[in-house]
Amino acid sequence: MSAFSNLLIPAVLFFALGFFARLIKSDLRFPPDLAKILSIYLLVSIGLHGGMELANANLGEALVAVIWALVLGLLLPVIGYALLIATRRVAPLDAAAIAAHYGSVSAGTFLTAIAFLGTQGVEYERYPLIMLAVMESPAIVVGLLLASWTRRRAVAGGSLRPADEGEPGNGGLGEILREAFTNGSVVLLVGSMLIGAIANPNALEALDPFTADIFMGMLCLFLLEMGLEAGRRFGDFRRVGLILGGFGVVMPLIGGVIGLLVGHFMLGFSVGGTTLVAVLGASASYIAVPPAMRLAIPEANPSLYLTLSLGVTFPFNVVFGIPIYHHLAVLLAGWT
Amino acid sequence: MHQLVPQKLVTVIASDVLEDRLIATVRNRGASGYTLVRARGAGSDGLQSGNLDADTNLMLKLILPPERVSGLLDDLEILNRKGYHLTVYVTDVLVMGHEKFERPMDI
Repeated sequence: MSAFSNLLIPAVLFFALGFFARLIKSDLRFPPDLAKILSIYLLVSIGLHGGMELANANLGEALVAVIWALVLGLLLPVIGYALLIATRRVAPLDAAAIAAHYGSVSAGTFLTAIAFLGTQGVEYERYPLIMLAVMESPAIVVGLLLASWTRRRAVAGGSLRPADEGEPGNGGLGEILREAFTNGSVVLLVGSMLIGAIANPNALEALDPFTADIFMGMLCLFLLEMGLEAGRRFGDFRRVGLILGGFGVVMPLIGGVIGLLVGHFMLGFSVGGTTLVAVLGASASYIAVPPAMRLAIPEANPSLYLTLSLGVTFPFNVVFGIPIYHHLAVLLAGWT
Repeated sequence: MHQLVPQKLVTVIASDVLEDRLIATVRNRGASGYTLVRARGAGSDGLQSGNLDADTNLMLKLILPPERVSGLLDDLEILNRKGYHLTVYVTDVLVMGHEKFERPMDI
């Protein structure tokens, strides 16, 4: 099978349709709240399903997966920040905000990867789903710590006046942590997983038409909308420039390779599970992190991180990244 | 003849994520109420398409007795200095039933 058979998955084709519709300036538009409704549906369905399967999971293995998810969530933003600073083209606070997006994850990319593995008939472990939930928040905290460190350095260096009103986050680290971990998508995903794990399995089966039968169709609609959104952002590509645009492709590859190594060597996953961990490492958040950055790092330019995450990295991962990570996972499994 | 009383209309356009903070501010500064709508647009912060939580704006309107405006503007200026991009404008308006604008918010 060709490495890019990913392109023939309906969900990915719908993503391309959305993107194309923007390119030809079609008047196709979704009602404003539909994307939010679809992402709520996707999180609830995947949470319920994952919870059901995790009810039978091995607690020790799950814990190891959680620890590695934390390590990825804390490590990736630091790598991203260092890379961005090294380009000398990005203001440090912009770098902190962008880096936070790359340590967090995109459920849309993860679900596309699941659709890809399903089409290829590849089995995968369920633990990456817990990792998805765990990885939403730690990067936000790292981003804020990087920003606060940057501000302190600027004050010490004399290029910034000490803010007499304190930092924009306003509530100190406790408040920042509370906001990061009570984020709506985290609460929804973890809550649905708990419901899936403790609810009566027979009663959950009655939900199948809702959580399973229509799932791929809903994913298609969601990706159509994300394609429209990515197409809209892609026009802003000029604003971010070639170097920053390049970061939007290089960073997911770095994160993907780190994810591959963690999935294969540290967690001992199969090809499917390793691919999913790579996707977690590669993907950049566009739902949970951007509002948190707007609130806590107002000095950073939102059009930079939204364009990178949604206009560059998301399309790259959906179209090229996922088959590449899968291909590498196959090579890694055959090699060792 | 209707009795119309001069008041100030303050309009704030800002990122939707600031909703709680802005409402706390206007309440502390003695506004008797407010009206808020979600908004989309574009500006120096790029496109605000209104499709994602992070790129939705809000437009907040409130009517204040003229003597309370300056205190509110002080607070909004602090937000601007912290880096938030706020669009704020104040206009003169004539309101009907002005007693309503002197009662505190009941929520």
